[in-house]
Amino acid sequence: METALLAIGAGLAVGIPALATAWAQGRIGPAAAASLAEKPELSTTAIILIAIPETMVILGFVVAVMILLRSGGAGG
Amino acid sequence: MIVSMSRVRVAGPAGQLERVLAFVQDLGVLHLVRPEIPRAEPLRHDGMTRHCRRLLDDVEAAITLLGIAPTAPPKHLPEPSAVASARFARRLRRKAAKLAKQRAALEDQKVMLLRYREFFSAFESLIGHELAWPDGKAFYVVLRAGAAAAVTELRAAIAKAVGEEVELLDRPLSSGEIAVLILVSNAAAPKVAKLLADSRVQELPAPAGLGETNLLRAMPALKARLAELPKELAAIDAERKALADTNAAELNRLRWWLHDKLLVLEARARVHTGQHLFVLEGWLPETQKERFVEQLARAFGPEIVVEFLGLERWKATNAPVTLTNPPLFKPFEIVTRMLPLPRYGSIDPTPFLAIFFPAFFGLMLADLGYGVVLGGVAVLLRVKSKPGTTLRSVSFIAGACALFSALFGVLFGELFGTLGHAVGMHPLWFNREEAIVPFLALSVSLGVVHVSLGLVLAAITAWRRGHTREAVGRSVATLMVLLTVVALLAAFKLLPGALLTPTVIALLVAFPILIALEGIVALIELLSSFGHILSYARIMALGTASLMLAVVANKMVGAMGSVVVGVVFALLFHLVNFAIGIFSPTIHALRLHSVEFLGKFFSPGGAEYRPLSHWQPQHER
Repeated sequence: METALLAIGAGLAVGIPALATAWAQGRIGPAAAASLAEKPELSTTAIILIAIPETMVILGFVVAVMILLRSGGAGG
Repeated sequence: MIVSMSRVRVAGPAGQLERVLAFVQDLGVLHLVRPEIPRAEPLRHDGMTRHCRRLLDDVEAAITLLGIAPTAPPKHLPEPSAVASARFARRLRRKAAKLAKQRAALEDQKVMLLRYREFFSAFESLIGHELAWPDGKAFYVVLRAGAAAAVTELRAAIAKAVGEEVELLDRPLSSGEIAVLILVSNAAAPKVAKLLADSRVQELPAPAGLGETNLLRAMPALKARLAELPKELAAIDAERKALADTNAAELNRLRWWLHDKLLVLEARARVHTGQHLFVLEGWLPETQKERFVEQLARAFGPEIVVEFLGLERWKATNAPVTLTNPPLFKPFEIVTRMLPLPRYGSIDPTPFLAIFFPAFFGLMLADLGYGVVLGGVAVLLRVKSKPGTTLRSVSFIAGACALFSALFGVLFGELFGTLGHAVGMHPLWFNREEAIVPFLALSVSLGVVHVSLGLVLAAITAWRRGHTREAVGRSVATLMVLLTVVALLAAFKLLPGALLTPTVIALLVAFPILIALEGIVALIELLSSFGHILSYARIMALGTASLMLAVVANKMVGAMGSVVVGVVFALLFHLVNFAIGIFSPTIHALRLHSVEFLGKFFSPGGAEYRPLSHWQPQHER
C-alpha cells in the first residue's frame, strides 16, 4: 500500500508540474510567436522564455525520482 | 573579451578636412562621435546626401534589373561627374525597367495563353460541334479543383433556367481544375449569363488582341502567338545582357563610390568645423593608437594635431564595443551575438560560454555513439561551409559539443544507451542509469560553481566601473552562497560536522553586512541564487531522460517479435532520441547561461564599434 502511494505521489510530482508547464508554455508560445513576427531578432530570447517554465516539470521529475528512490523503485 | 578603446581628438585647418576624412576612411579604425564642444555646429550636407542617395537608388535598381553580379571593390575610385553619372544611372534604370516590364508582360501573356490552350485542347474534338450552332453562344468556365459536385449543380441550375436549349460539357485540366463549355441558343444566352454572374462563376474570356471573341475560333491565332513568344523573350534577354555587359563595370564602380561617399557624408555630420579649424573625435582600439598617430603625422605633418583624451579605461561606458577572442573561443561569439551587445566596461561572456556550454551539453547527451554521430554532422557542416561564416562557427560548436558528449559517454560507459555494455564498455566514473543521486549532486555542484562564478564576475564588473560598494556586496553574496553550501554539506555529514558551527556563525555575520551594503533586495537576490543553483538539476533530468529513451530504443529489438522490425524501430527511436538529444540540451544549456549565469553580471546595451571605413556589403543596416 505504501509503495503504491509513493508511486502515485511520484506520478503526481511529475504530472501536476507538467500541466503547469504546459499551461505556461501555451501562453508564452503565442506571445513569443507574435513578437517574432515583428522582431525576428528576438528568436533566442523567445526560445529561452519558452524554456523557462520547464524548470517546474524538471524539478518535479527530480522530486519524483527522490520519492521512487525512497520507495526502492529505482536504483541508487 | 571586449577590446579596450581610446578616445582621440583630431584638429586641423578646415581646408584639410576632406583629405583627413579620406585618410581616416582608408585607415578604417576610427569610430566617429560628435565632439563635446559647445557652440559648434556640425557640417550639414543634406543636398549632397540626397543627390547621392537618389543616384545610388538608380544604380542599385539598374544593377538588380540587369542582373549584374557584384564585384570586388576597385583599387582606384576616381570621383565621377555628378551630372553625367546621374544621367547615366537614370537612363540605364529606365531602360532596364522598360525591358523588365516588357519581359514580365510577355511572361504573363505566355502563362495566360497556355491556360487558354489547355482549355481549348480539352474541347478540341468538339470544335465542329460548336460551329454547328451558328446562332448560338458559348460560355467558357473554369471551376476550381475538387469542385466536381458544382458541375452537376450548374447543369441543373441552367437546365431549370433555360430548359433544353443548352449543352454543358466538362473536362478535367492538368491543374486539377475543371473546364466547362456551355453552349446555348442566342435566345437563352442572357439567362445563362445572368445565372453565371449571380452564382459568381467566372467566365474565361477570349484572349485580348486575338481579334476573335469566340474562344475556339481564336485558337489558330493563339497558337501562332504562342510560337512567337519565345523569340520575343529571347530578344529581350539578349538586349538586357548586352546592356549589362556594356555597363556592368561602370555601374559597379559607381555603386562602390557612392556607398563610400555616403559613409563620408555621414561622418562629416559628426565633425565640427569653424571658419578656420575642424575638430573630429572618435574611438579607436588601444592597440591602434600608435599606428594612427604615426600615419597621420606622416601624411599631414604638424598641421594636424592628435590628442588622446584622458578617460579612465573601464569607466568610459559610452565607448563602442567590439569583441576579440582567441581562435578556440571565437566561434562562440555567435552565441554571444544572439544577445544584445555587452556594455563597454562589462565582461564579454564568450570565453565562459566556450567552456561551459559544450560541457553542459556533453553532460546532458553523454553518449559515445551520439557524440560520434554529432561529430560527423560537425565535419559535414565544416566541409560545406566557408571560413568566417556563421555555419563554420556552428560546425565548430557542434564539434566541441560532440567531443564533450563522447568524453562523458566514455566516462559513463554509454554507447547508444546501454548498448555499450554488450561490447564490454563499462562506466569509468559512474553509471547514470543507477547512480541518479550522484548525478544530481554533480549537476547541482556545477550549478554552485557556475552561479558563484557569475557572482564573482558581477563583483569584478562593479569594481571596474568604480562601484566599490556594489563590488563588496557581490563578493559577500558569493561568500554566503559558498558558506551555505558548506553548512549544508556539513549538516548532511558529507563534510566534517565540526565545520557546521563556524560556517553558520560566518553566515550570521555576513548577512547584516550584505543588507547594509545592498539593502533588502540583496536578500531576494541571494534566495534567487539558490533557486538558480537548483535549476542546474535539469542537467541530471535531461541526461537521465535521454539515457532512458536510448534504453527503451534498445529494448525494442527484442520486443517486436521480428528482429528486423525491432531493429528498424530501434533505429527510428534512436534517431528521434538523437534529434531530441541535440535540441533539448542546446536550449537548456543556453537557458542556464542566459538566465542563471549571465543574469548575474551581464550588462547589455553596448554600442557597436563602427569605424569609418570603405563600404562593404555588411555596412548596410
